[in-house]
Amino acid sequence: MATAARNFDFRKLQAGNRRKSGELLFGMGIIVGAVVWALMTYFGKGGVAIVPVAIGIALLSVWGSYWASDKIVLTMTGAKLLNENENRQLYDLVSEVCVAAGLPLPKIAIVEDDAPNAFATGRDPEHAVIAFTTGILRLMDREELQGVAAHEMSHVANRDTLVSAIAATTAGALAILTDFLMRMMIFGGGERRDDRDNQNPIALIASIVVLILAPIAAMLLRLAISRKREALADVTAVQFTRNPAGLRRALEALQADTTVVQQRSTSVAHIWIESPLDNSATSKLFSTHPPLSERIATLKAMEGLS
Amino acid sequence: MNIVVLVLLVLVVLALLAVMSRNRLVRLNISVDEAFAQIEVQLKRRSDLIPNLVETVKGYTNHEASTLEAVVAARAKATAATTVADVAAADGSVTQALRGLLAVTENYPDLKASANFLALQEELSTTENKVSFARQFYNDNVRSLNQAIKTFPSSLFANSAKVSARPFYEVEDPQDRKAPTVKF
Repeated sequence: MATAARNFDFRKLQAGNRRKSGELLFGMGIIVGAVVWALMTYFGKGGVAIVPVAIGIALLSVWGSYWASDKIVLTMTGAKLLNENENRQLYDLVSEVCVAAGLPLPKIAIVEDDAPNAFATGRDPEHAVIAFTTGILRLMDREELQGVAAHEMSHVANRDTLVSAIAATTAGALAILTDFLMRMMIFGGGERRDDRDNQNPIALIASIVVLILAPIAAMLLRLAISRKREALADVTAVQFTRNPAGLRRALEALQADTTVVQQRSTSVAHIWIESPLDNSATSKLFSTHPPLSERIATLKAMEGLS
Repeated sequence: MNIVVLVLLVLVVLALLAVMSRNRLVRLNISVDEAFAQIEVQLKRRSDLIPNLVETVKGYTNHEASTLEAVVAARAKATAATTVADVAAADGSVTQALRGLLAVTENYPDLKASANFLALQEELSTTENKVSFARQFYNDNVRSLNQAIKTFPSSLFANSAKVSARPFYEVEDPQDRKAPTVKF
């Protein structure tokens, strides 16, 4: 059998990345728990009522952008939908990857931008959009573009729009909640509760520390989840094409390229294949993508090089 | 009293697990069928391209009658195949015959430069990639199904769900071991 001869360890790598991103989501759950504990410690049981309010507000703000993600992102990036005959080769190679992934053909779009990049979004495979910049189409050959298309279709297959929506909702709810509680602490000093008076001071200080650190921790976890999903998409792309060299060469081409996407809006930074933000100055901890060199090394290991 | 509730709860959980793993078997079995249908769709596409290709090549060459006949004969045989093994064998001979034909076209620069042939080339290479990805997707699905049939707890329900291990789609072709990306 053809695949037996090329049995990379992509299944193991996939399972590892899935587990880690699951653990990170669980970590966000723990932060929510810690904030609720801090809230009850500081304000008593009555304060818990605002938890569903904060989650509700976060859900409302994230839900729309998740549900209509295909339309919103197309508008924000100014991508134009591609007609089948405009770029036969691109249309063909995306549909090849769909056959490999067992997914329906997504809408294919082109972004007028000299920087080479690509993204995929959509709430489910039936509403998926995959977009390429004019720069990436110029820069890459068929095999490299196939690797990029496979990486993007992996996001669709792994439901990464949903994963990032969940992470965004949790981080958003925590930001709203802690912001609200900090204001109550500062301005609401007069409403002392009876059940708070017999609290020990250490618990009170701990709850303040939790409230200060929670939104930062949630943001870092959200970024870590994004990085794990990117790594997972690289591995899943290899499952689809069984050709790590294509994506590896594509990432090397991105590494060598210095043009940066003109649209530097941070709100859509996480969806591109390469981070459009110039992150040379920022550390790995604050970036939405793993460093290109790390991604290339993983792919090389799968090729049996290195 | 509490013990009865506990036992009932455990039974309900077990029943749920059983239903889930049986459903998984049925689902996997359906995806294998769908994956095989996808192979046939792609083979049909390739088969439909052959007459046009043969006509185009014929117009530019004189001494390649046997190569062309091999392609036409392989295509004719492929339409009759139904079982996985037969379809795979026929697929293999069409793949081989097409490769022979494309190797021959290298000797005819006029043919290679013709607009009709250039369009056919992209069409053929994408179809060849799709055929090979469809095979791979089918085999991955068979792998999951066969694994589920052999492993506990889904192995318990293979009989009742009327699901049995399926054959892999194996094409006898040494070149198939290379990456599926085909370049002409």
